[in-house]
Amino acid sequence: MPSSRKLTVSRAMSEAIAQEMRADPQTFVMGEDVGAFEGVFDSTLGLLEEFGEERVRDTPISETGFIGAGVGAAMSGMRPIVELMFVDFIGVCMNAVYNLAAKNTYFSAGNCKVPMVLMTGTGGGYNDAAQHSQALHATFAHLPGLKVVAPSNAYDAKGLLTTAIRDDNPVVYMFHKGLQGLVWMASPAGAATEVPEESYTIPFGEARTVRSGRDVTIVAISMTVHGALAAAEELATEGIEAEVIDLRTLVPLDRDTVIESVKRTGHLVVADEDYRSYGLTSEVITSVVEAHPDYLKGPPQRVAMPDIPVPYSRPMEDAMLPNAERIASAARHTTGRG
Amino acid sequence: MASGRIQVRVPNDLWDPSETEEGVIANWFCEDGAQVEQGATIAEVAVEKSTYDVVAPAAGTLTIAVPQDGVVQPGTVIGYIAMG
Amino acid sequence: MSATKDDLLWMYAAMVKARYYEDTMATVYMEGKKPKFDIGAGLVPGEMHLAAGQEPCAAGVCVHLRNDDTVTAPHRPHHVAIAKGVDLNRMTAEIFGRVDGLGGGRGGHMHLFDPAVNFVCSGIIAEGAPPAVGAALGARMNGRDAIAVSYVGEGAPNQGGFHEALNLAGVWQLPVVFIIEDNSWGISVPKSKSTAVADNAIRAPGYAMPGVRIENNDVLTLYDAAADAVARARAGQGPTLIEVETYRYYGHFQGDPEIYRPKDEVKGLKAKDPIDRLYHYLMDNQITDSSDLEAIAQRCREEVDAAYAFARKSPEPAPEAALEHVFV
Repeated sequence: MPSSRKLTVSRAMSEAIAQEMRADPQTFVMGEDVGAFEGVFDSTLGLLEEFGEERVRDTPISETGFIGAGVGAAMSGMRPIVELMFVDFIGVCMNAVYNLAAKNTYFSAGNCKVPMVLMTGTGGGYNDAAQHSQALHATFAHLPGLKVVAPSNAYDAKGLLTTAIRDDNPVVYMFHKGLQGLVWMASPAGAATEVPEESYTIPFGEARTVRSGRDVTIVAISMTVHGALAAAEELATEGIEAEVIDLRTLVPLDRDTVIESVKRTGHLVVADEDYRSYGLTSEVITSVVEAHPDYLKGPPQRVAMPDIPVPYSRPMEDAMLPNAERIASAARHTTGRG
Repeated sequence: MASGRIQVRVPNDLWDPSETEEGVIANWFCEDGAQVEQGATIAEVAVEKSTYDVVAPAAGTLTIAVPQDGVVQPGTVIGYIAMG
Repeated sequence: MSATKDDLLWMYAAMVKARYYEDTMATVYMEGKKPKFDIGAGLVPGEMHLAAGQEPCAAGVCVHLRNDDTVTAPHRPHHVAIAKGVDLNRMTAEIFGRVDGLGGGRGGHMHLFDPAVNFVCSGIIAEGAPPAVGAALGARMNGRDAIAVSYVGEGAPNQGGFHEALNLAGVWQLPVVFIIEDNSWGISVPKSKSTAVADNAIRAPGYAMPGVRIENNDVLTLYDAAADAVARARAGQGPTLIEVETYRYYGHFQGDPEIYRPKDEVKGLKAKDPIDRLYHYLMDNQITDSSDLEAIAQRCREEVDAAYAFARKSPEPAPEAALEHVFV
């Protein structure tokens, strides 16, 4: 039987968790509505039924409590997978993440481990306004001590989540709501992919070149990978061949793949749904310029959410998101063809 | 008897059409022409925000009759499986 | 029973208006979402949390409030906004994401701000409680007798911010009334599985304030309890915690498959509908007659219909307007 099975991102995530829970009784899930509801964004499909309430734990709306508890459980030998429903809710529980999870390994010179996965829904594009639409990638990537993952498709989602669960460090696994393949929220065609049934891992810090091109490098992550690919198709009709790189992880960050690509193309666009200033886009550009100030033949471009709270109204939000049109426009600009 | 063609239907009792008339194919988990195994989840039907899995009634080659986002009702034939 | 006829009819109107508003929204929200439900599609996109069934919590408290009293509401705010007197046209336009909205379309249904009646809300659980404490503190520091009311759901008392707010109000003896709308569901998680005590009102003594539990979604007993709480707050006698047993007729959000909820639960709740019960109370006690009540309901429906018509006609904002108002 050829493996032509396609999965949505949410099903791929659920499968990764189930396989790890089967393999290791220390692995368990907790979070709001992860049980009977199977995750508000379907990240825990079928888990309650298979593993029961002891290992698939609905929590009160108490993020400070249950994420802090995740840190404690992880340090006592468990492998908790804790869901923060919307990444925007990090505001009520940041201490557990950045002062505990991120620092306890260092404080103890590696004598204590925090093998916890914090998985959390990110992103906008469906008009949910500024407390339910942020990407916040850089907020986590900025804090030393956290690994940060943001898959763009189902194959990566499963492999990266398996790696995350097996990692002895705290991993923030940021899944974009609009990539999950939810029946009630549109997702781009490329998000659902063929996914092997068997368990597999994808190493952190290895970007994937999704499309090869000689004229401009477009670096993207999570949802912007799909915008970058659409932009590349559009640019190809104009004779601009774009190379698209999916970073897949923010920490560790695969700078080498980006630098190697820019060396060939001489032009760089970085697309991220997070805010423009002090973010991933600046980090990637700096990584290139700092190491090789001579590689760029045009001004590098950031395509990101402007420095405003994510607006609710559709015409406003649509125009502010880093979509294919904005990415293509930036590519034309930096290559001097627009 | 190992050949023939069998319908893939939205089960008649999947939801109450007096409450919600129509659903849509939210996802196909196989391409048209794919080999599928009996009992495998091959599609997902959405009725408002509720979802239902459709499983392959037999092993064989799938032909998709209603594409993704196509409208369905209980009993709609959404594809065929050629056996043998 | 101390409610005057005026107050009773005011509450009846506030409840009828809120119910009609939510039922209308339930229909309007589905425009452009059939047969495929896409949360980002249609006339009103995004999440939609409706409060049909919870009207007593709004009417029974806000009837005692003045314009200069502050109310902080959570993600399910419409009924409270209506009872507090938020501009209905501009509120609806905001929910539609239009230029005439309270925030020009920037905030949407979970983020309604009307400074004319001191109404604010937030989509983050329990996060209205500390700002209510701050509003009360500001009033007292300026020698005003305005008070603040914080609305949260029954999931919120499990959040740290809620307890910190209660302690602040208790230790500083501030004029705050904390209302917990207990509809028994935090999305899919029942209160019995999320909360160590069945009755949140018993937590109040831990913060040196009285705690009251209102059973059966009853607007009349809530009216009395809220009258005491508001009077105490206004007189400088400190905060009160009131938990109200209430009903959520719709799902957590529109389109919620509600797989977690017993199928006939809502039917049972509707059989003891609080608006019907108030109607019968007013009739049985000969406080008014059916034609009067129908006239009130008719006025409410017209006002709501006009608000929806206003919102439909209001233009969509220019995309670049999104860049305005980050700072003043």
